[in-house]
Amino acid sequence: MKPANPDPLAQLTEIRAIMERSSRFLSLSGLSGVGAGVVALLGTAFSMRFLESAFQDESVVGGYARLLHSSAEARQRELPGLLFLTGGMIALAVLVAFYFTRRRTHDGGQKLWSAPGRRLAVALAVPLVAGGLFCLRLYLGADVAMVMPGLLVFYGLALLNASKYTLDEIRWLGVTQIGLGLVCMLLPEYGLLFFALGFGLGHIGYGLVMYNRYERPGAAAKPVVSS
Amino acid sequence: MKHLIHTLNKAFDHRVRLGVMAVLMANESVSFNDLKEALDLTDGNLASHVAALEKAEYVLVSKQFVGKKPNTTYTATAAGKVAFQQHLATLEKLLRG
Repeated sequence: MKPANPDPLAQLTEIRAIMERSSRFLSLSGLSGVGAGVVALLGTAFSMRFLESAFQDESVVGGYARLLHSSAEARQRELPGLLFLTGGMIALAVLVAFYFTRRRTHDGGQKLWSAPGRRLAVALAVPLVAGGLFCLRLYLGADVAMVMPGLLVFYGLALLNASKYTLDEIRWLGVTQIGLGLVCMLLPEYGLLFFALGFGLGHIGYGLVMYNRYERPGAAAKPVVSS
Repeated sequence: MKHLIHTLNKAFDHRVRLGVMAVLMANESVSFNDLKEALDLTDGNLASHVAALEKAEYVLVSKQFVGKKPNTTYTATAAGKVAFQQHLATLEKLLRG
């Protein structure tokens, strides 16, 4: 029988650690964010090229602006290509994120598919799937211009929701995406730029912050969780 | 004068019991396996300590079947939550001296 540690400070620290570990997934790697951001930037470049050739417009945001004003038939024609690009980006980003976070769970001890990990996945997935379907319907309907703001806002809401189960920085990443999405509603022609800002630079920025705080050799190491 | 240390709840006088209560404070309801994983324990070890907490009526045990598999989940009772919070308050008082 191992009695409780007689030192009250040690007991309190351990209790706090157990409460956090059992309710939050704290092994999320900042490098996952950086990787996903790089994928998004590459994806933006590919999408630009794709739209340039689809609509024969060589100016920087021209292809995207043409897409916004194109006919329903033209949008249907480009849908498989765009879905392929988006699907590819999501798959790559998830793969990269999975790789770095898995690497961290191996060092850090918290299992990837633990109860908090599962809860985090569900909290992200529900708003994301709903948002994806919602935006697909916008794209096919008359409101293509609102697809990009929709993606950003839904993604931000998903992060905000998931932040209950992981590091606090995720909440601020979510708020950033929502903000960008709302501004993008006012400047729909620059949608791709907002995409690069939110999904690209946003991920990279917060990823670096998280990496510096918790993972860099010699970092403070303990995730701070507000209660 | 009775020293503060004697007012610490005996039901929590063990690492595992403290751990179980901590997990149940942070999570609404927790399955046996998730609890085992969160505290990194063996089946027998966890079962005996949870039984002690159940006897003190600090933890509520509910057993259901998912298909043919038994699925046991644990929840902290209101009394358990109060007792645990008092335990934490006492620890803090001890710290302040």
